[in-house]
Amino acid sequence: MTEEKILEKVVEILKPYAKDPAALASVSLETNILSGLKVNSARLVDVVLAFEDAFGIEVADDDADKVETVGDAVRLIQGKLA
Amino acid sequence: MASDTAGLKATAVSRSESAPDPAARGWSRRALEAQRLAGRLAAPLWLPPVVLLMRFVLRWRIRDAGRCRREYAKLLEEHRPLLVVANHLTMVDSAVIGWGLGSATSHVVRHRGLPWNVPLQRRVESSWLWRTLAYVMKCVPVPRGGDRQEVAHVLERLAHLLRSGETVLMFPESGRSRSGRVDPQVVADGVGRLIKEVEGCRVLCVYLRGDAQRTWSNLPARGDTFTIATRLVEPRTGLRGLRASRDLATQVVHHLVELERDCLEGRAAS
Repeated sequence: MTEEKILEKVVEILKPYAKDPAALASVSLETNILSGLKVNSARLVDVVLAFEDAFGIEVADDDADKVETVGDAVRLIQGKLA
Repeated sequence: MASDTAGLKATAVSRSESAPDPAARGWSRRALEAQRLAGRLAAPLWLPPVVLLMRFVLRWRIRDAGRCRREYAKLLEEHRPLLVVANHLTMVDSAVIGWGLGSATSHVVRHRGLPWNVPLQRRVESSWLWRTLAYVMKCVPVPRGGDRQEVAHVLERLAHLLRSGETVLMFPESGRSRSGRVDPQVVADGVGRLIKEVEGCRVLCVYLRGDAQRTWSNLPARGDTFTIATRLVEPRTGLRGLRASRDLATQVVHHLVELERDCLEGRAAS
């Protein structure tokens, strides 16, 4: 799966969790999920679980800890799919 | 029984040794040991006044505290990791729970029985006084809404404390319950992650509620009497990764929901 496709799907997954929907319109790989999209930190686990379901991958706690930006999520998923 | 305990100790050591180097992750075991020692030395100075304040100035009472303390003392004798998990309605829940689990004297004498707390870093770092008090009152501050890696380092410290025979108190709902009831939809995964990480971890679910407590507040009402209901569990899961943490935390919160239901039904019946 290409990086663009993964990014598209990641943004789609983030939509219901983002308290700042306007930020989703200008989302980039550098966008911070917590501060940029205003996703509640307690919901970040739900987001990663949604990635697991959508991409059929399994994410360890340590890997999930490293997800700060949209790009981190995309790279994590890419790595798992490879 | 003796061989079981030996087995647990051996497992705990090997897990601890295989854990990442704490110094490389921003904390050190020595710093925690120093804090533990400072807390132990300072306990005779702050514990009795705090209990006297609760007992005689705020006139709080704990229903059946003797039973609660005897049961807790028995659990401490087993020398297996013990995580205390409670509902959260006021800002002094940890103090009341600590008092309910042991008298000031017992906590001074057997200081490991006084659970470590996980207050918000923002609150602790608001002044030097709070920092000092948090240090000697066995607190490991946690950032809220911040870097997950920082939170992971806090969990590593707590796991180390549990493995080394200390007890830790956590609130799986993260903050105080705004509805006044345990909300199974709001589950912080830290509790589950800790249970998963610490081999043989027992969980003492504690439901605390004052008779006059309707919903959440800063302080319980003056003259309030508390009920403390407890249940010892050892959650298990067949899941892995994040799902395992979520599953374990959810199991614990469901025990709290059941304790709450029993407590409120018992109150209604009387």
